[in-house]
Amino acid sequence: MRVTDKSIASNSLSSMQLNLERLVKLSQQASTGLKINAPGDDPSGAQKVLQLQGALQDNDQFARNIVTGNAWLGGADNAMSAMGDAVVRAHEIAMEMANGTYNATDRATAANEVKQLTDQMVQLGNTQVGGKYIFGGFKNDSAPFDATGVFVGTDDAVNIATGSNSAVAINFSGGKLLKGTGGGVDILSELQNLSTALSTNNLTGIKATLSTLDTAQSQITTARADVGSRMYRIENISTNMDSANVDLKKTLSGIQSIDPLKVYSDLANQQTAYQAALTATAKISQLSLLNYLK
Amino acid sequence: MSIMGVLDIGSKALAAQKTAIEVTGENISNVHTPGYSRQTVVLETAPGSVDSRYPIGSGVNVAAVQRSHDTFLQTQIQAETSSNGKQTVVQNALAEVEPLFNETASTGIGASLQDYFTAWQDLSVNPQGTTERQAVLSKAQTVIDDFHRVSQSLKDQTQQANQSLTGLTGDISAKLKQVAGLNDQIRVLETGGGSASQLRDSRDQLLQGISQKVGISYREQSDGTMTVTLGSNSWGPTLVQGASASALTVNTTGSASASIILKKTPADPGTDVTSLITADSKSGELGGTLQVRDQVLPGFSGKLDELAYNVATQVNTLHSTGYGLTGGTGVNFFTPPAPVTPPATYASGYSGLIGLNITSTNDIAAATAAGATGDNRNALALAGLKNKSITVAGVQTTLPGLYNSLVGEVGVAVQNSQQGVTQSTAMLKQLDNLRESIVGVSLDEELAKLLSFQKAYEGAAKLITTGQAMIDTVLGMVQ
Repeated sequence: MRVTDKSIASNSLSSMQLNLERLVKLSQQASTGLKINAPGDDPSGAQKVLQLQGALQDNDQFARNIVTGNAWLGGADNAMSAMGDAVVRAHEIAMEMANGTYNATDRATAANEVKQLTDQMVQLGNTQVGGKYIFGGFKNDSAPFDATGVFVGTDDAVNIATGSNSAVAINFSGGKLLKGTGGGVDILSELQNLSTALSTNNLTGIKATLSTLDTAQSQITTARADVGSRMYRIENISTNMDSANVDLKKTLSGIQSIDPLKVYSDLANQQTAYQAALTATAKISQLSLLNYLK
Repeated sequence: MSIMGVLDIGSKALAAQKTAIEVTGENISNVHTPGYSRQTVVLETAPGSVDSRYPIGSGVNVAAVQRSHDTFLQTQIQAETSSNGKQTVVQNALAEVEPLFNETASTGIGASLQDYFTAWQDLSVNPQGTTERQAVLSKAQTVIDDFHRVSQSLKDQTQQANQSLTGLTGDISAKLKQVAGLNDQIRVLETGGGSASQLRDSRDQLLQGISQKVGISYREQSDGTMTVTLGSNSWGPTLVQGASASALTVNTTGSASASIILKKTPADPGTDVTSLITADSKSGELGGTLQVRDQVLPGFSGKLDELAYNVATQVNTLHSTGYGLTGGTGVNFFTPPAPVTPPATYASGYSGLIGLNITSTNDIAAATAAGATGDNRNALALAGLKNKSITVAGVQTTLPGLYNSLVGEVGVAVQNSQQGVTQSTAMLKQLDNLRESIVGVSLDEELAKLLSFQKAYEGAAKLITTGQAMIDTVLGMVQ
């Protein structure tokens, strides 16, 4: 092909521009560490990046929810443990006082202790975590048990999201636990019964509470087991989420991040190429027949 | 042949070589002039005579000064210029759109939507919390602000595209007028036997300039004038014929989507040629601007409206069934409420209209039933909207998925237009090189020619001095 001065000039110019353009692109990748810097760099990759970033942010939020869940369930577990101890103590007292060797004064003292235990149960029923009454259901702003042991909360389960399609209840109904809602033992009334029987020195009455207090013990243990299993479940979810996060981050960086070795060596190559283009342009523009015409 | 014949041949040769040197000089001085076509001197032997019983020529004549030209290549260049012009305009517009949706580098609608649903999650854990309620409201306001910002940017760009049409058509019309003027000059010069090389170069330059702005076709008539028509592939309405030029104007009455009007004379009411230009794939900057205004930007705006509508509708549907802290219910979260029943109908530009309906944090409906402030079921359901599968235009997706696919669409459009521009630029470069190889000036070549013409000139001068010496000799004999 016939080569003219103008085509030499425009070819040199465009090859220098092309080289410079590649150089800028590579140095952008090297400085940001990302190969996708705008949607146009890789549309499907950019879309996946957004999806993965969304999933990671979701998991962060679920992890935050789980922290709250753990606090609630832990609070419930502690309270239930203390409640169990109180019921066991009440049962012991009932067993002891059902024995005919004790007199009315002894029983009156015992009645006092059972009264204390009942108050303690009510207090435990009004346990708060982060300012919320955890046994109050949806009415968790105010104490679910009043001074006389009447339950004024609700039996609703407070769920928190632990995954995009999973939720875990982080409370236990105070009504079900202490007032026998839904077919259990009304533990608070039973303790009051015991206390009344003791103060009135009513041996039959004391004996009558023994089997119910037995059931009450297992009622609290069952509830505690339920709470425990949910804590275990949350723990599991949290562990799984941690490993899922590692995978998500790995995938994300695979799509989004550069391979530093490749980019740096490409960058070095491109610099050489640019230098070569500059040198070639400088050399070719010196050549002319004019130099040889004397 | 007489001695005078020798002098005659010599002077003819001097004149011819001088012309050749002049043409070479013209070529050398125009080595970098855009659009210049190299000229060559065509020499021929002058008619011979048999005076001396042998046929001997009577010297050299300049037959013509030819202008190098390749009409086919010129047509290809012009078509590729139109295609390049169109794609460059689209690429420039997309380069302005892309940052609006660039969530990989900065934050935008996607991030604020994510934050909004995260705020609902926080509220579900603490449904009575004033801080959490305030967070839901302020995150919602960020979502709205982002929708407004992007929607306004797209609207501004549409307006810009619309306004640039006036400048473009004005430019095209002025150039068409110049082509018509050159047509006239070339016809007059060439019918008078003159050469109109420079004028033809200027006309080619103008035609390429017009091709950049709008797709055209043209053919040369026998009288040297160029007939120009609209449209790169077909013979559309005439733009230039002989010395008369039509004008392109913008119909400004409907300012939102002004149409392009072709007027044969200033008094002509004109014909609407908008659809003709948009149907042309190689329609130059004018076609590119129309595409940006009528297809690219409205496409993205429509998707944005769709997203805003779906966010508002999904949230409103759940929110209006829930109960606020003080027991209020039936309250929409976003405004204006759009009809929920399919088919989804919403005003175009919804993303610019969406607003917050709630002012008091007490009205945020976190509860599903009245009376219990710890009820978090509705907040949980609203937070779950983020990953809830919804069907939009027959496609199953989620709200963030809808936005992500919009980002993907922008990315694909950017990538396509970048590739298109790169390809057509490379093609144009290739064609330009080809054209240069035919019509361009090579200094080395011209210098070599200059040398040979100079030597020939010296030879001719020598011929004359020889003739003079011969005459002197003959005259000396007489003495």
